[in-house]
Amino acid sequence: MIKQIKPWLTRLYPRPWRERYAAEFDALLEQCLHSPLDVVDVLLGAMDAYLQLLNGEEVTWRMMNMLNKLRTTILIVFAALIGFIIAGFSLVGLADDSPMIPLMKTDFALAAAWRIIQAGAVIALLAVVIGGAPLVLTIFRRALTAPRGDLGLLLVPGFSFLALGFYFGFIILVGSGRIQIPGVLPAVQPGNFPPGNRLMLAGLALVFVLGAIASTLAVWRVVSHTDVEQETFRPLGRPLTVQIYSFAFIPAVIASVSMLIMLIATLAWFGLTFSALPQVYTGYFGPWQTSTQAWFLGIVAVMSLSTIAAFFGLARGRSARLSK
Amino acid sequence: MDTTEFGRFSDPALLILSSLAGGEKHGYAMMEDIEEMTGVRLGPGTLYGALSRLEQYGLIEALPAKERRQPYRLTAQGATFLRNYLASLKKIVTLGLKRLEA
Repeated sequence: MIKQIKPWLTRLYPRPWRERYAAEFDALLEQCLHSPLDVVDVLLGAMDAYLQLLNGEEVTWRMMNMLNKLRTTILIVFAALIGFIIAGFSLVGLADDSPMIPLMKTDFALAAAWRIIQAGAVIALLAVVIGGAPLVLTIFRRALTAPRGDLGLLLVPGFSFLALGFYFGFIILVGSGRIQIPGVLPAVQPGNFPPGNRLMLAGLALVFVLGAIASTLAVWRVVSHTDVEQETFRPLGRPLTVQIYSFAFIPAVIASVSMLIMLIATLAWFGLTFSALPQVYTGYFGPWQTSTQAWFLGIVAVMSLSTIAAFFGLARGRSARLSK
Repeated sequence: MDTTEFGRFSDPALLILSSLAGGEKHGYAMMEDIEEMTGVRLGPGTLYGALSRLEQYGLIEALPAKERRQPYRLTAQGATFLRNYLASLKKIVTLGLKRLEA
């Protein structure tokens, strides 16, 4: 009986308490929970923890609210970056095969704005990878000692990439004529973009966007249920303790600043292309020959919202760091 | 600060501080040490109720976790608090014993 309820006992405590003490408390219960009296003692402890919260006591685990805020910051910046990336790919789709590309070869400012966008994307992605690495490692390490059912969700980004890869491969096969679909042309000419081709490319965009959303939600779910403040790693045999969410804060700042710079560079890029080729913006150079202006507005809107969200997340995280 | 701030956890808090005065320990080691030292077995809920308060008041601090175990140690503030509290207890004990013998 006690063995059966043991895994549930820690869950009776308030979430902020669990975020601070759950791992060590679980380890303790594995060693010392033997009698019903121990169970009663844990129940009283859980009640006491709730009373502390209700009384508004200055409890240590309020620090865990700081941890919560930091974690939310990291997740918001991550989700914002995914949104920004989707907008970024749309920008590439807009520029691709448009008269803007030849213009970039002769216009230094335009080329510079484009390079800034590319460099910003690389820096932001690197920051997220570096900032998130200790967290991902910790999740897997902890899962070895305390298996968790939601770990499979971390496979969602991989599956999303696979799905995108398969769909892209399918388009290449159609383009090469190896697969023939009625209503879809292997090669399209400007001014001749059949509905079948539009649908196929819309499918690619849909797989990409849905994959990005699913991956973000899956990562959000796993990370938001990772109640770990710090982890000790042993690079080169020496112990190194990392406050995993505090560690990720600076990369989150770098990623957010990169988004802001990319947004400014994108606006500059649009401004420069508009002054050089105003007819492009009244035309249909968007992906699948859609309105350039609509794409421009959409891209800027998504990039702006993503950047605002990232800085909102940073503000939350910063207040948490200051209150530490 | 006095022990009234620890409520029903004042005695366990004192026991934990006394245990940690002998060196850093994780939760289970504290339980065993306290049982060996006083014959009192703290329940897990009581132990962590007191532990969280002691950490909150800065009397103990967590060290880097070893596996899933979290060792704690006494802070300088905790050592001072324990020393002062035990000194006041000693006065009471001495006085009480003297009165009993009189």
